[in-house]
Amino acid sequence: MVRVENISKNLGEFFLKDVSLGVADSEYLMILGPTGAGKTILLETIAGIYSPDKGKVYLNDRDITTLPPRKRNIGMVYQDYMLFPHLNVEQNIKYGMRSRKLSKQEISQKVDKLANLLGVAHLLQRHPGTLSGGEQQRITIARALIMEPEVLLLDEPLGALDSKTRIKLREELRRIHSFTHTTMIHVTHSFDEAFLLGSQMAIMNDGEIVQVGEPSEVFRKPNCKFVAEFLGVTNVFRGESVIDNGIAYININGLRVASATIRDGQVYTSVRPEDVLLSIKPIESSARNSFKGEIQDISDTGTIVRITVDVGVPFVAAITRRSFLDMGLKQGMEVFLTFKAVDVHVF
Amino acid sequence: MFSRLREANFKIITILFGLVLAVFIVALLIGVVTHTTPQALIDSLLSGETQFAIRLSLITSVISTLFCIIVSVPAAYALARYNFRGKNILNTILDVPLALPPLVAGVALLILFGTTSFGKGLAEAGIRFVFTPLGIILAQFFVNMPFMFRVLRTTFQGINPRYEYVAQTLGSTEAGAFWRVTLPMSRNGLMAGSIITWCRGIGEFGAALMVAGSTRMQTETLPISLYLNMSCGELPLAIAAATILIVISLVSLFIFEKFSGFAHVF
Repeated sequence: MVRVENISKNLGEFFLKDVSLGVADSEYLMILGPTGAGKTILLETIAGIYSPDKGKVYLNDRDITTLPPRKRNIGMVYQDYMLFPHLNVEQNIKYGMRSRKLSKQEISQKVDKLANLLGVAHLLQRHPGTLSGGEQQRITIARALIMEPEVLLLDEPLGALDSKTRIKLREELRRIHSFTHTTMIHVTHSFDEAFLLGSQMAIMNDGEIVQVGEPSEVFRKPNCKFVAEFLGVTNVFRGESVIDNGIAYININGLRVASATIRDGQVYTSVRPEDVLLSIKPIESSARNSFKGEIQDISDTGTIVRITVDVGVPFVAAITRRSFLDMGLKQGMEVFLTFKAVDVHVF
Repeated sequence: MFSRLREANFKIITILFGLVLAVFIVALLIGVVTHTTPQALIDSLLSGETQFAIRLSLITSVISTLFCIIVSVPAAYALARYNFRGKNILNTILDVPLALPPLVAGVALLILFGTTSFGKGLAEAGIRFVFTPLGIILAQFFVNMPFMFRVLRTTFQGINPRYEYVAQTLGSTEAGAFWRVTLPMSRNGLMAGSIITWCRGIGEFGAALMVAGSTRMQTETLPISLYLNMSCGELPLAIAAATILIVISLVSLFIFEKFSGFAHVF
């Protein structure tokens, strides 16, 4: 269990402001946030590279705030590998073994085991400079895992790889996690990674953690405008919410949207584009929200087509390419948008 | 058509300037080497005095280069890695010997080690710099230290500190990470810096002259030998010293270029 409590650190360009975060054992925590949010410095503070200006870091309830990195048993993997170029792959993997009192034989057994686990056994005598990005990142993971770290910190580990390698290594990380049960904290820019790997997800902005939760939860219920926009949740509007007969009605620029979330006053709402049904004729359904509008914009992203409809405010609906073609939608056409009150998220 | 012609002319003219300079340099060097007959040159090279100068130059320059490395490695690392109060001033001060005329550096060393109680105390303890080979080493060290320092500082700055961070998470102390990761990664810079420092040490004249004087067969390095023999008309001996210095410079330059992309440091 790693816990940081009220950590603040100012490095000028990058900083942390009163960050608190707990990661349970065997958890796989994903950290997302825009560039400059302080994700890397949070990892480096947990690793012990910086000592925080304020706050505490605990590992299994032991205060490790002032402990040097070498005594923490926390592993670190960077986006750009940081493999020691003057050492070959084998020497890189066993670098950390010098601080452990093990016989040569035990060390070479461990190296072999990890090299096999990560599929780099055939590269042991090569030098890092001659390897592909994917191979290099496998070696950095092996180099960190040989220490049997309590926590493995991954700073955009897949960020520098091509998409095919990224998908492969992503699966590898999942396999390694289920195999070793090492607690992982993984910084990423990719929502796919966050969903596929993370059991928890934290969103950072401006040196602060703004939301923590299960990935699907965070995606479904962003707790502020920043998270909603950062996660690309479209249809975010501001409006005045009035409660009438157990239902909240939110007035968005004249548009009256019903929501199952009861809250009055000024609120933000969001509706995920895939929750919006688009039709040429009005539909009879239990859904409380149905609006007529003109197609403003069509953006074809391949499998999904995003249609922006002006219903007083620009509203985005996502439909499949198939139904887009079936309906023969064109700019300027009149269509109906329908969505349920429970899908109107208020924050 | 016309403009293209002008562009072509411009290219040719600029290249011509480069060529003229190169011809000038090569002609000068050839002029020195061919000034005496080959036989006279060989005889002079084998003479006791030239042999002494070669030996003294090699010994002093190697020792002063070693001192430059020992002192510059930690200093350059500190100024490349850490932020602290007064860092900029320290950086500037460490570069001063580079800008100082060697004669002035020599006078300053002479005053400190020859006239102050500090220098006299050292002399009484048996460490004499004035008019001794030790003074040559001191002069070379002082004048050339900034070259080593600057090459190393640039080298260390070019190495991502995250290599050391990773090494520390893998059980290394700060010093251990430096020793096992950063220093080996600086091999080329260390090599280039050593060569340039050594080469300049061999050629060091002004400061060494001030501190160690120019006593034949005692503090007679190659440049001093060149100077002494030139002033008393022993041309073949002077040419012999000059020839060796030219060869050493060319070889060093070649090795330096091979080991570094650090030419911009100077």
